[in-house]
Amino acid sequence: MLTVKDLHVSVDDKEIIKGLSLEIKPGEVHAIMGLNGAGKSTLANTIAGRDDYELTSGSIEFEGKDLMELEPHERVGEGLFLGFQYPVEIPGVSNLNFMRTAVNGVRNYKGEDEMSAAEFMKLVRAKASELKMDPDMLKRFVNVGFSGGEKKRNEMVQMAVLDPKLAVLDETDSGLDIDALKTVADGINAQRRDDTAILLITHYQRLLNYVQPDVVHVMIDGKIVKTGGPELAAELEEKGYAEVA
Amino acid sequence: MPDTVIDTYQDQMQQLKGSLPGWDGARDHALDRLRSVGLPTTRGEDWRYSDIKAIRNSAFGLMKTPARNPEVPEALLGVAARLVFINGRYHEGLSDLGDLWQAASVRPLANHLMANADRVSEMRQGGDGINLLNTALMRDGFVISIPAGIEIDDPIEIVHLTSDAEGTSAHIRHLVEMGEGASATVLERFVGDDTGYWLNSMLQARVTEGATLNHVRLQEEGANATHTATAMVSVGAGGNYHATNISLGGSLARFEARVRLLVDEANATVDGVALAGTGESHDMLVHIDHRMPNTTSDQIFRTVADARGKSSFQGKVTVATDAQHVNADQSFKALLLDRTAEANAKPELEIFADDVKCSHGATVGELDEKALFYLTSRGIDPTTARQMLVEAFTDEAFDRTGNDTLADAIRARVADWMINHTGRSND
Repeated sequence: MLTVKDLHVSVDDKEIIKGLSLEIKPGEVHAIMGLNGAGKSTLANTIAGRDDYELTSGSIEFEGKDLMELEPHERVGEGLFLGFQYPVEIPGVSNLNFMRTAVNGVRNYKGEDEMSAAEFMKLVRAKASELKMDPDMLKRFVNVGFSGGEKKRNEMVQMAVLDPKLAVLDETDSGLDIDALKTVADGINAQRRDDTAILLITHYQRLLNYVQPDVVHVMIDGKIVKTGGPELAAELEEKGYAEVA
Repeated sequence: MPDTVIDTYQDQMQQLKGSLPGWDGARDHALDRLRSVGLPTTRGEDWRYSDIKAIRNSAFGLMKTPARNPEVPEALLGVAARLVFINGRYHEGLSDLGDLWQAASVRPLANHLMANADRVSEMRQGGDGINLLNTALMRDGFVISIPAGIEIDDPIEIVHLTSDAEGTSAHIRHLVEMGEGASATVLERFVGDDTGYWLNSMLQARVTEGATLNHVRLQEEGANATHTATAMVSVGAGGNYHATNISLGGSLARFEARVRLLVDEANATVDGVALAGTGESHDMLVHIDHRMPNTTSDQIFRTVADARGKSSFQGKVTVATDAQHVNADQSFKALLLDRTAEANAKPELEIFADDVKCSHGATVGELDEKALFYLTSRGIDPTTARQMLVEAFTDEAFDRTGNDTLADAIRARVADWMINHTGRSND
């Protein structure tokens, strides 16, 4: 589903990702673990298409398409989703309007009819309820005045509503208390199917207690230095990055 | 200004003599004053952001009725009455007073002056050269008097339509009188074709004790038009004047609101949105004069400017000596969609009392790149994403019109504007 080959990415002329390769197949959950500054968020943002990230060499293919040829919103239309480490507050735009415009943006991209207001409300209410989000939060401005946990929960509701093929979740577990962490994990597990894939980017093993990954990668200084099964996460937690790598 | 210009206006004034009963003396007086003060220049503080060289240096002709009546825009919502002005003249056939005449007095300016010769003096407002020219050359307008205790729910719509008017100007004067405890919404709309005309409008309002006047202006003049407008308002005890100025059209547009809070607990809320398209200049000046204690005022202004567009705001609040416990807030935010866009903000607070709460804030910025990326990373195309952010930005300034249908209509206008002016900040 996602094929990254010898990726080099610079931000402000500084090379952050220094030759990274990765292959994710449908049905798989991958976790990339690494310390701050390893380039994890840069990888996530490059996949999503943030424009201050410059791909200097290598390639990213998503379902056989060159991602770099697509604008960020087109990537979403193709089935990609980025869960933000720091979801953005947007005063003046209601959560409902935001999500409905997003769903219809994807539908327009695919050449499908827009979802009716009634159909959308039914969908979003169901997803919010599954993820234990207070329905009132749907009416509020996007992330404005939300706690850290509420913002991440909101990311999960957006993911559920958009139903992506590949979800890249950047530090979705950071700043969460245990209840919020479980809810987020439930959201991720609900998205886990034979035809979808998930890339978890995380600092700690904590989330992986609730979402069992198929493959774990260790990232240090812009490269993947080690790949293994779920046991690698436990080993990292126990011994630390320096020893494992 | 050149003598030839003022001589031309003198000739026009002579032609207009006799058209409004009892008004000739006011015309003479205003023109004499204009001869000595001249039309405003950017050297004066009030007009420093609006350069009306074109108006100063050559005289505009008197606007004539167009050969054919232009198409009148549809009402935005259900209205209590509709008054239509074509090229500065009231058009009875296109207007519809509905049932309003049963509840209130609504009549053309000429009828009002005819019946109230003793009240001519109160309309002889001084003001700057633009106001003086309005007094000298005005020929039509409406007088709306809402009797004490009467509440008119639906807006009274005044449509000003200008077409085929190259090189000419119209000077309009409306009068609104709110009896004690009365309430009404006056919705002024300005639309026009692409000819280079000048529309100069004045609205004088008296809001007496406990009355509420909601004054909404939707300015969508033609692309080459000059629009100058002044609202002169006095508010009595517990009275409330609420203006919302939506400035979308014209190549140069300026709105000035002068509000005097004359008695305890008088309130003024003056809000505005200006969207300055390529090369346009939109200017808003508010002066709120707190004469008495316990008076309050609040202003929210949001402006957006595209390439070489200019949006300007001057907000003056004066608090008289002994006008204690005054509360005055002011917020101005400008959004620049292009590096060549310009925003000017000049808050001015003159406070002579010591126990008051006055605040002001002004910011100028670009569209939030993080927010744009967040929206596009959810599948929203960049044009729609920009449109959403601009709408969200301006929303606050017309959120308080108290009429959802009207707010939606304004929202749709803002969205249309965005579709026609895609921001280029990312180029």
